Amino acid sequence: MMQVSLRKYLSYLLGIAASLALFSAILLAFGYDPITSLEGLVSGSFGSTFLASETFVLMTPFLLAALAFLVAFRARFYNVGVEGQLYIGALFAYLVGSQVGTLPSVAAIPLVVLASAAGGILWLALPLLMRIKLQVNEIFPTLVMNFIALDVVNWLTAGPIKDPNSGNLQTPILPRSTWLPILIQGTRFNVGIIFAIVMAIGVFFVLYKTVLGYEIRASGANPRAAQSGGVDVSRSIIAVGLMSGGLAGLAGMVVVTGAEHLLAQNFSPGYGYQGIAVAALGTFHPLGALIASVLYSALSIGGESLQRSAAAIPIELTYVLQATIVLSVLIVQKWLGDRTRRRR
Amino acid sequence: MPILFASIGEVFAERSGVLNMGIEGVMGLSAFVSLWVTFTTGSYLYGLGAAMVAGAALGVLHAFVTVKVGINQLIAGLLIYTLSGGIADFAYRKVTATSFPIVRPLPSVHIPILSDLPAVGPILFSQNILVYASFAVAIVLGLVLYRTTWGLNIRAVGENPEAADAAGINVNLVRNLCVILGAVLAGVAGASLVIGYLGLYNAGDTLVAGRGWIAIVVVIFARWSPYKAIAGSWLFGLGYSMAATFIGSGVFSSLGPSAGYFLLAIPYIFALVFMLVFHRGTKSPSSLTVPYKRK
Repeated sequence: MMQVSLRKYLSYLLGIAASLALFSAILLAFGYDPITSLEGLVSGSFGSTFLASETFVLMTPFLLAALAFLVAFRARFYNVGVEGQLYIGALFAYLVGSQVGTLPSVAAIPLVVLASAAGGILWLALPLLMRIKLQVNEIFPTLVMNFIALDVVNWLTAGPIKDPNSGNLQTPILPRSTWLPILIQGTRFNVGIIFAIVMAIGVFFVLYKTVLGYEIRASGANPRAAQSGGVDVSRSIIAVGLMSGGLAGLAGMVVVTGAEHLLAQNFSPGYGYQGIAVAALGTFHPLGALIASVLYSALSIGGESLQRSAAAIPIELTYVLQATIVLSVLIVQKWLGDRTRRRR
Repeated sequence: MPILFASIGEVFAERSGVLNMGIEGVMGLSAFVSLWVTFTTGSYLYGLGAAMVAGAALGVLHAFVTVKVGINQLIAGLLIYTLSGGIADFAYRKVTATSFPIVRPLPSVHIPILSDLPAVGPILFSQNILVYASFAVAIVLGLVLYRTTWGLNIRAVGENPEAADAAGINVNLVRNLCVILGAVLAGVAGASLVIGYLGLYNAGDTLVAGRGWIAIVVVIFARWSPYKAIAGSWLFGLGYSMAATFIGSGVFSSLGPSAGYFLLAIPYIFALVFMLVFHRGTKSPSSLTVPYKRK
């Protein structure tokens, strides 16, 4: 047992080392200094209270999106539509939030939270029904609905709910009572961050400490065996669908009410897709996703700092680095996993 | 017909049992490569060739991580999408620092007599050469898939790899080749978008604009058949041009000036409705997404 977990950590370190070596080579090839760049990544993400708080603000949607993907993945339900559910969750959060401004925060915030989760679930409902009732593979319906969601939000933020006084394609600012409270003055470090961490622990608890979680994992590991063992696989899939859509909606909500306080066109730089990478990096374990999301957002914030710094490393290279890290970790992990299996 | 090239490629990859979700990114990178090479060399042929090489390189990467290493195909594909999109945008930024690459799209080839037919004439017989090529590729590869031993081997590998292996077929070799072929065709698709129509590149996946994802939906719509992919690509291509026409004509202006965004959703709504209507028979190759390891 000890051996196995040691190998797991080793695979992580090896994967990250391999991708950093590869990335340094790319940087060198384009005439950047790899040492100062990598230093810049670290100081650019945790170098000050402000930067560290920004890293955690960005971690929140990554983490919630990763949880949304992985909880469904554990029952072998591939929800590639986290991005779209996140947009609709954000839209619902805005629509409800803009109506409940007269209520005190204690009443307004829970309403907004519930609305966003409902929005996410609503956007997953059709693919979920298609899977349960018609046995249509969910990958494509969920993926396609992302683009429809994006078009809907683009349409609304450019017209019907656009702030007429703003030159940007975005809504007016939400009433203050719907803002998630700030915990560290002078930063955007808000309650949403704690909320997301609690959700990670909650997903861990549901997956590993409840009968439902056991059934979900059994359905994912071997649907046929689970079914004949008395597990209702369809029920597990509906359960993870509801959790997944809800978590994705919440991921949109924390951006709108926690960080930006309005709904802007294209506000998500692909949180839903990157959440899948984060979930993979965290080995599809909720607590692994917690660690992976911090790493991932540190890379993003560090990458943005780098782009602004004297070295002026373009942000696209940071995306390349993120994808390379996840790929290398997965490859090394698979290799080490295969080797241990063969030895037994 | 960029969607057609990409979807035939995806048909082959999926028939052999490998899902490539990264073709949107493959198209993006090869679109940039074809633009840059055509711009610097002045040769469409070099541009097309370079795009195929770029596609092949990403195909080798995808084949390596999914067939050889065996990591989850969905996740590998999405990572390749991020990776190749990042590389393309970075390279574009580097290039535009010193120049602004732009090429003149390929001229239309008018087929005499046929292109003068009313209504269908200009649509079917007055296109650039790559459009005709895409039809030819679809038909030739359809013949390969259904009428040759190679095609039989590919289908066997995708349906029942154990049996194929027992029959002496090298399962993983067939899969590697199909994945690489699929990526090369996605490369051609990216190139045909640039040198066939647009003549330029835009960062942030606004150029390919979802055609790679749509190609994957076309594969389902076509039930993994290269022939039916022709009809599917045409239909979804129609979705794109309908959206463009409606936005241009202002038919929906009563919905507000921003309704154009909503019309962009038309191809995707098309896709969803088709999946709802034609869900029967949308049975994928049995071992799609399942890596094969010899016992």
